[in-house]
Formats: sequence, C-alpha cells, structure tokens
Amino acid sequence: MQFLNNYSNRELNIWAELILDILVSFYFFPKIFSLIIDGQLYGDVLVGIIANTIIIAIIYSIFVFGAINALTKKEEKDERDYIYELKSYRISNIIYQVSIFILISQIVVFNPINPKPLTDFTAPMIAMLLLIITLLSSTGKSLTQLFNYRKNI
Amino acid sequence: MKEQKIKNQIRRLRFDANEMTQAELAEKASVTRQTIIALEAQKYSPSLELAFRIAKVFDVPLEDAFQFD
Repeated sequence: MQFLNNYSNRELNIWAELILDILVSFYFFPKIFSLIIDGQLYGDVLVGIIANTIIIAIIYSIFVFGAINALTKKEEKDERDYIYELKSYRISNIIYQVSIFILISQIVVFNPINPKPLTDFTAPMIAMLLLIITLLSSTGKSLTQLFNYRKNI
Repeated sequence: MKEQKIKNQIRRLRFDANEMTQAELAEKASVTRQTIIALEAQKYSPSLELAFRIAKVFDVPLEDAFQFD
C-alpha cells in the first residue's frame, strides 16, 4: 500500500499501460514472427493469435485498471498533466516519424540493391513492423510521462 | 536539471494558513496534490492563472506567493 501512496492514480495508470505494451510485445510478436519466417502465416492462425492477445489485454485491463481505480483516487487532469502529455506526444511522434523513415528507406532504397537483405518485406512483415513502430511510439510516450512525473517529485 | 527561476512561498503560506494540507490546497486551487508537491519543491513553474489561483486561496498578493529571481 505504501507503493500506492507514492504514486498518483495517473502514474499508476501509465505504469499499467506500459506493462500491457510489454506483455503484448512478448506474447504477440515472437509468435507472429516465427510464423512469418516459416511462411505459415495464414488467416485462421493469425486470427487465433490476435484473438488471444485481445483476450489477454481485456482480462489484464479489467483486473489491473480496475484495481488501480478502486484503490486510488481518480483526479482531474491539471495544467501539469497536460504539459507532460504534450511533451510525451512530441517524443512519441519523433519515434514514429524516425521509425517510419527507416522502414521506408529499407524497403525502397536498400532492399532492392542489397543482394542478401535481412528480410523479405512481405505484406504481413510490413504490417508487423508497423505494429512494432506503433508499440515503440506508445512505450516512448509512457516512459516520457513517467520520467517527467518522477523528475519533479 | 535547469533551475526554476520562479520561486514560491507556498509551504510557508500553508503553514501560516492553519497548517493547510497539500490536499486541501490542491482542491482549492483545482490542481492535483502532485502539482502542489512539485511546486513546493521549486521544480515546476505554474501558469499565470494557477499562480493567481494559489495567491487567491491564501488571500495574498501574487508577489507574496511567487517571486521571479
């Protein structure tokens, strides 16, 4: 309970989001990539993995976010929250743009001229890379917010 | 870390106001308690509007609550 007293409801929610991002990454991506590499990424397999991921995320959200909101007092956002949110969106946007730029560079410029590319950029592979970029961007946002909140305490 | 140039007397003003708690001040100034903690630690510069709200809570002029170094 001492842990809960040291963190605001908002901080705990951000921590929970971050842990959810990490859980999803560790469950979803290794499975998907092994299927892509084996060339066995079919619709029904993919649907099964996505359904499991969504179920895990829902169960996690019900228990964790429910517990956080039951044990700590929910507070209205104030100006400091909005400032930190904007800073975190800025970082998140930079991560997103740089990652997309690198991905496009790989696909358009390097992949055709490289005789032994790291991977074939098939449609499922590109979709997964875009998902990873989205997740990275979300993780960057959460980490920036947590850093700013802790920095000023 | 860059030092904040706006200093405040919130901790002293709270003490003078019958030892008002951070939570009470936060509620009266319509901010979170974490913002009051950051302000008292001189690690956050408030907006002009929040500075006026806090000064109003203690019923003091703005310059008694906040000073620019």
